[in-house]
Amino acid sequence: MGDYIVEMRHITKRFPGIIANDDVSIGIRKGEVYALLGENGAGKSTLMSILFGTYEPDAGEILVRGQEVHFHSSTDAAACGIGMVHQHFKLVEPFTIAENIVLGVEPEEKRLGVLPWMNMKKANRQISELSKEYGLEVNPTDRIGDVPVSVRQRVEILKMLYRGAEIMIFDEPTAVLTPQEIDFLLQIIDNLRRNGKTILLITHKIAEIKRIADRCAILRQGKLIDIRDVADASTQELADLMVGRQVRFTQEKTAPNFGEPVLEVQHLTVKNEHKFDVVKDVSFTIRSGEIFAIAGVSGNGQGEIADAIAGLAKIADGNVILNGKEINDLNVRERCLSGISYIPEDRQETGTIPDMTLQENLSLREYFREPFSRKGILKQDPFRDYAEKLIGKYDIRCAQGPDTILRSMSGGNQQKAIVGREIEEKSRLIIFVQPTRGLDIGAIENVHRQILEERERGAAILLISLELDEIMNLADTIGVLYRGEILKIDSADRMTTQEVGRYMMGVKEA
Amino acid sequence: MFLSRRLTGKYASLWVSLLAILMTLAAASILLLAMGKNPLIAFRSFLQGCGMIPKENYGGGSGMLTDLLDFLNYLAPLILASLAFIAAFKAGLFNIGIAGQMLLAGFTATVLVGYNKGLSAVVAKPLVLLIGLLVGGMTGALIGWLKYRFNIHEVVSTIMLNYIISYLTGFFINNNYVDMMTRNSKVCSPDSRLTLTNIMIGDLKCKIPLGLIIAILIALLVSFLFRKTVLGFEIKAVGQNRRCSEYTGIRVNRTILLSMGLSGAIAGLAGVAYYLGYTNTIIPKTLPGMGYDSISVALLGSGAPIGSIFAAIVVSVFQQGANYMSSTVGVAKEIASLITGILLLFASCGNYMKYKAARKMQLAEDLRRTEGKEAKAL
Repeated sequence: MGDYIVEMRHITKRFPGIIANDDVSIGIRKGEVYALLGENGAGKSTLMSILFGTYEPDAGEILVRGQEVHFHSSTDAAACGIGMVHQHFKLVEPFTIAENIVLGVEPEEKRLGVLPWMNMKKANRQISELSKEYGLEVNPTDRIGDVPVSVRQRVEILKMLYRGAEIMIFDEPTAVLTPQEIDFLLQIIDNLRRNGKTILLITHKIAEIKRIADRCAILRQGKLIDIRDVADASTQELADLMVGRQVRFTQEKTAPNFGEPVLEVQHLTVKNEHKFDVVKDVSFTIRSGEIFAIAGVSGNGQGEIADAIAGLAKIADGNVILNGKEINDLNVRERCLSGISYIPEDRQETGTIPDMTLQENLSLREYFREPFSRKGILKQDPFRDYAEKLIGKYDIRCAQGPDTILRSMSGGNQQKAIVGREIEEKSRLIIFVQPTRGLDIGAIENVHRQILEERERGAAILLISLELDEIMNLADTIGVLYRGEILKIDSADRMTTQEVGRYMMGVKEA
Repeated sequence: MFLSRRLTGKYASLWVSLLAILMTLAAASILLLAMGKNPLIAFRSFLQGCGMIPKENYGGGSGMLTDLLDFLNYLAPLILASLAFIAAFKAGLFNIGIAGQMLLAGFTATVLVGYNKGLSAVVAKPLVLLIGLLVGGMTGALIGWLKYRFNIHEVVSTIMLNYIISYLTGFFINNNYVDMMTRNSKVCSPDSRLTLTNIMIGDLKCKIPLGLIIAILIALLVSFLFRKTVLGFEIKAVGQNRRCSEYTGIRVNRTILLSMGLSGAIAGLAGVAYYLGYTNTIIPKTLPGMGYDSISVALLGSGAPIGSIFAAIVVSVFQQGANYMSSTVGVAKEIASLITGILLLFASCGNYMKYKAARKMQLAEDLRRTEGKEAKAL
C-alpha cells in the first residue's frame, strides 16, 4: 500500500468516560478529497486532531509519505505539510489579513545587517499572488475584524497554503456559511484538489460529500464502520451507515391550520451595548398552528429578536403583543407565565445550569410555584416526580436518573431536557433558536418531530435557524433577516432555497 | 486507589477537607522540624491551649474548662464570619470585606450600646445583635448595589470599603473613645457584652460565650435556606449561571442584593460577637484577621454551612492555641496564621483533587472494560 500519502493505523484514543477512537485505520491517497462522515461524538474531530498533532494517540501509528511520524504539537504536523482549518477560526481580529497569514512565520529580514525588520510589503504581494492562484479573493490589508465569515475562512485556507501545506484538514467548514458561500467553498476545495493538494473533510452533511468527496470513511461511536467510494454509495446508504439504522429525511407535515394571531411584533428595534441598532424596525405576526422561521446568517440580529420577545433584551422601540396584550413592560417571568416558552441558542450558557442536577434543571420553569414549593419552601417529591415524568416522556438518557449532574450528560440529551422542559409548559408561543445545533441526525429527527407536534397542538412557533434545510423543511412562513432588518416575508412554499439564500446575503429584490 | 474512590464517592467533600488538613499538618511538621522543634509537642500544646487536652499546671481560678470556653468564645465569631462568606459565595460573589463589615458593626454597637450604661442586659444584648444585623446588612447591600448599578466588582469595592471603615472607625476611636492606658477603645459595659464574664463554675472563673448559640442557630438557618427554600435555590442558580438565571426569570439584581445583604448581616453578627464578646475592645485602624480566616474556613468546609462549624474548629485550634504553644515550644505565634494560610492553599485545591481522582477512576474503569472485552474475544 505504498500509494498513501497519510496512513493512520490502529489509532486508539481514550478520554475520561469515552473511547473517542477505537482501533481506527484509514489511508488517504495523494490528491483526493477524503471525507470523514459521522454524527457528533463519533470521533472524527479527535482523529483529525491526532493527525494535526493536537492530541497524541494512546495506541497506533501515523505514517506520512511512508515515514512513521510522532507529532507532539501542531508545529510538528505543520512541518510535515499538514494544515487544518478549525471549526472556530483562530485569527487575531485587530490584525490585517496578511498579518494573520504570516503570524508565526514572519518574513523577517535584517536592515543594516542587524535590525530585525518585517517586510510586510513583500508578504502582501506574496499573499495577493497566492490568492489569485487558487481563486481565493482577499484584500491582504483588510482587518480581520471588518471582513465576513466566508472571507475569514479563505484567510484560514491561505494560511495553510502560505505555510506550504500539502495535506489540508477542514473541520465542518460549511457550518457557518450560506448556500452560495458553500458552493463557492466547494469550488475552492475542487481547485485545491486539481492543484495536487490532499483534502480531508470532516462533516456530517452527506450532500456535501456527494458533491465533492472521492472517498468517505464512516465513523460511529469511535469505531470505523466502513470506507466507501462516494460515487458508488447513495445518500440514503451513507446516512444509514452513519446513524446505524434507517433514517427518514423529511418529516410528514400536516396541512396548515392557522388560528388567530398569537404573537405580533410591531416595528421592533433593539440596540446592543454600543447603542447600535442590531434589530431595526422588524414586524411580523405568528398565528396559532404556524411555524414562522427566521432565516439569516449568524449574527444578523436573530438572537436579539428572540431575547427581546422573551424579555432578556430591552426593547428600544416598537411593540411585542402576545394574545392581543402588549407585553413590553413585563419581566421575564411574567412573560413566561403569560405563555412563552423559549429554547435558547446556547444550551450551557443560557438554557441550563450545568452544575445542578437534571431534576433541578427540568424544574426551572416550575420551582417557584405549587406544588414544587409552598410559601417559599421547596418540596422534594414534586421535583423528582416531575423529572421522572419528563425523562420518560422525552427519552432523556441520564446515568443517575433525576440526580444526574447536567454537565455530565451529552449535548443531545441536554437539548432533550431543555426542549422537554419548555414544551411541557404548553405555552401558546414557543421560540426555538437553533434547536438542532450540534445534534446528530437521530436527535435532529426527534426535535423536528416535536416542533411539528407542537404546531399541530396549535402553538405558534418562532423558529430561528442557520440551517436552511431545517427552515425549508419545517416552516410555514419564512422571514429573511439581514443586518437586523427583515428583507422578505413570504409563505414557505412560494420560496426556493436559492431565493432565501440570496436574501440572506442582502440582495433586496430580484 | 483507596483515595480516588473516596474522593469520587458520596462524601467526597469531607474527604477533600480531611486530606487538606492532613497535608497541612505534614507541611507544618516540616516547617517545625526545620526550626528544630518537635511537631508532635507543638501540636499537643495547640490543643492544650484550647482546653482540649489538660496542661501540666494551671494558675488560680483557671483550668481546662476556662481554656475551652475561651476557645469557644473565639470560635463563635469565626463560624459566623465563615457563614457570611458562604452566603455570598453561593451567589458567586467573593465577599472579602467581611473584616470591614465586622469592624463597622462592632464599632457601631460599641458606641451606641456598649457605652450606654443606662441599658439593662435584657435590652442591651438584643439591641447589640440588631445593630450588628442592620449595620452589616446595609454595608453588604451597598456592595451588592454598587455591583449591579455601576458594575463595580465586589472584590474591588470590599477592599476599598475595608480601608474606609478601618480608618474612619480608627479616627473616631482615637478622637472620642480611646482608652489612654491601652490605646484601644474603651471597654464596653458588661450588660452589653455577648460574653458573660466572671461566672463561677466550681472554683473556676469562666466566660460563657452567648455568641456560640447564635452561631449554631445561624448555621442551621443558612443550611436550611440553601437546602429548602426558593430564595436559596435562586441564589445558588445565580451563583452558578447568571445568564441562565436571567433566562429563567429570576430577578438577578435583586438576588445579588439580597445575598450580599445577607452576607453582610451575618458578618455584622460576627462583628458584634467578636468585639462585644471576644475582645471587648477595638484596636483602632486594625481589621480583624478573622475576616480573612473565614475564607479558609468556608473553603475547608466545602462551602457547607454545617461543615464550616467543624472547619472553624480546626482553624480556631491553631489561632487560639498559638499563645500557649508559643510559650511552651518557643515558636512565634504568627505560625498560626502561616498554618491557616497553608490550609487555605490545600483546601482550594479541592476541586483539582476531585478531578484527578475522577480521571484516575475513569481510566481504570476504561482499562478494565477493554481488557474484559479482549479477554472475551480470546
